[in-house]
Amino acid sequence: MTADTLEKPTRKRERTDLTRLFLTQRIPLLAVLIVIVVVTFFINDAGGYLTAPYDFDYMSASLISAVPLAMLGLAEMLVILSGRGGIDLSVGAIVSLAGMIFGFAYGEWGWPLWLAIIATAGFGALLGAVNGFLVSYIGFPALIATLATFYAYKSIAIVINNQQPISTEPIQQLFSLSKSVELPIIGQYIPDVPLGIFTFLLPTVVAVWLLLARTAYGRRLYAIGTNDVAARWAGLPVRDTRFKAYVYAGLISGLVAVVTVAQFASARPDAGVSGNGMALPAITIAVLGGVAITGGIGRVAGVVLATLLIVWLNAGILLAFVGNEGSQYQLLALGAVLVFAALLNGLTNRKYGGAQ
Amino acid sequence: MSLLKERARTKVLPSPVTGQEIVLVGVIAVLWAALAVSTPAFLTAGSIQPLLVATAPVALVGVGMTIVIITGGIDVSVGAAIMVCSVITAKVLVNADVNLGAAVLISVLSGAALGLVNGVLIAYGRVHAIIITFGTANLFMWLGLQIFGSGTVNGIPATLAFFGRGQEGRTLGVPHAFLVTILITAAAWWWLRHTAGGRHFFAIGGDTQAARLAGVRVQRRVLLAYVITGVLVGLASCFVIAQGTSTLDQSVGSGKELAVIAAVVIGGTSIMGGRGSVLGTLLGALLVQTVSSGVTQLGWRSQLSDLFVGIFIIVAVGADLLRARARRSR
Repeated sequence: MTADTLEKPTRKRERTDLTRLFLTQRIPLLAVLIVIVVVTFFINDAGGYLTAPYDFDYMSASLISAVPLAMLGLAEMLVILSGRGGIDLSVGAIVSLAGMIFGFAYGEWGWPLWLAIIATAGFGALLGAVNGFLVSYIGFPALIATLATFYAYKSIAIVINNQQPISTEPIQQLFSLSKSVELPIIGQYIPDVPLGIFTFLLPTVVAVWLLLARTAYGRRLYAIGTNDVAARWAGLPVRDTRFKAYVYAGLISGLVAVVTVAQFASARPDAGVSGNGMALPAITIAVLGGVAITGGIGRVAGVVLATLLIVWLNAGILLAFVGNEGSQYQLLALGAVLVFAALLNGLTNRKYGGAQ
Repeated sequence: MSLLKERARTKVLPSPVTGQEIVLVGVIAVLWAALAVSTPAFLTAGSIQPLLVATAPVALVGVGMTIVIITGGIDVSVGAAIMVCSVITAKVLVNADVNLGAAVLISVLSGAALGLVNGVLIAYGRVHAIIITFGTANLFMWLGLQIFGSGTVNGIPATLAFFGRGQEGRTLGVPHAFLVTILITAAAWWWLRHTAGGRHFFAIGGDTQAARLAGVRVQRRVLLAYVITGVLVGLASCFVIAQGTSTLDQSVGSGKELAVIAAVVIGGTSIMGGRGSVLGTLLGALLVQTVSSGVTQLGWRSQLSDLFVGIFIIVAVGADLLRARARRSR
């Protein structure tokens, strides 16, 4: 193998190095794909094929749908990282149920906003703790435990307020949270950015990144995801670490519940489970972002870039087709991208022994 | 010598029913008894027949899903696949004058094609099944919505009434849809238990590498599991059309994948692969349908049935975990 490499002409080796880089490093690949998507739509826009202009203002405004998507993608990443088939099908149902709790606390009981948000996040964490307890301490397969809690939470969310959404005065005023704002100082030179990016998404991204890259807990999470037997023999608290991954996922889902309520200006009992639900897109984003479904591999930057790719792709598709067709072609794009990413993961696993 | 052979054979075969199935029969019996006491209308033909008809599609797809899960895979695209098969069949029924056999054949062939897509990607792409089928679920949904065009398919003729809720759908009071499901479940039970081909699925789920070394053509077997699921999805779609009104809307099949997986895991099939039974799946589907029908008949909110389904999953799999722990410690 080494002799073979040595004999190759330099230029060919450079090319294989580049292929190898894109196949094994998910982040450069995603960056290139984002550039391709954006340039494609800019060209289409210039040619007049789109129903509305695809420009920086539009791209910035479409970021509002990145907020719940990226946050839930990060939640799924934490859970998938913990290994042993870790997955959370219940995030959408947690969003619905925690959203109803937020509706009660802020919209009906008149709690102050900060207290209502903390209570909602705490309630989400509690729902996540049920998942974590079942998976980590009892030993349920994650798919089954979260399937069961998905059904349970979904049902409770609908029954708790007799199928009625809560949209009282204070809840309706929350819609301002999802408005776009002009940034101070540099704001006049760049497009307005949705407020949710700063109030919810960026803090979550930074917190998850700090948790994974700068704390002992993050190291432990990668360790148990890579090999939980070895981690146990190394004296790590495997059960406790895995349990907490589900708790954090629930906590993030609770925050997403607040964002969703603000976006709809109403606490809807089916917010997270209507249609395809929120769990499927979140898992898609995590996998596309390079999180290995077997656990132990995944980075925050990958999930964020994957979200940007999907959001800007979806935003462009909406302009390229008229009416319902647009949302249908978004399904095609999401499915095609996911299958492509999965096959790419399979190929890298065989050729280069895994992506990073 | 022959005695030895006999003993070897009995030892190799697992017992015909597992503990989980006996427990499920008990739970269903208790539920039916309780419902019969609390609502007198429950134990009448008018209530049991719709229950059996509604169980059929979930149980039928569950047979395929059981085989897939036994090989260590999973198929979350069956809900979308049901949508594609039913819209194709419904459109054909509306636009062309086909008979029952042709309609079923078209549905089954479309299902098999979708299953083939899943199977090829999973067996030869060597990627985890859950990711591929999440992806194909989106693709199938797009395909289904494209065929729907805009809105619903209206005026479906009653060609498929043979599988429906009405009088034509029953023989001696037993709904045909349920009868077909029973027959297919029995055939699958025999095949998985008593033929080498069927038992290869267990070998693959137990240890893929060992199965390969023992001469099992793993990729072809895995491919076959998904195609079988597709075929059964096609047949189940005919039941779905037959049970509905003459109108088919775009929500058909939505969420069915989770209902099917719930039936399979309540039936005692291990999600890790290598262990499971189609009989348990049939009972699981019956249990889930009993719960939702019971909740409605008791006059409770119909959404509460999902809560009970969740609790049943936890209890059923929890009991299985405890038994596995007992087996290990023995």
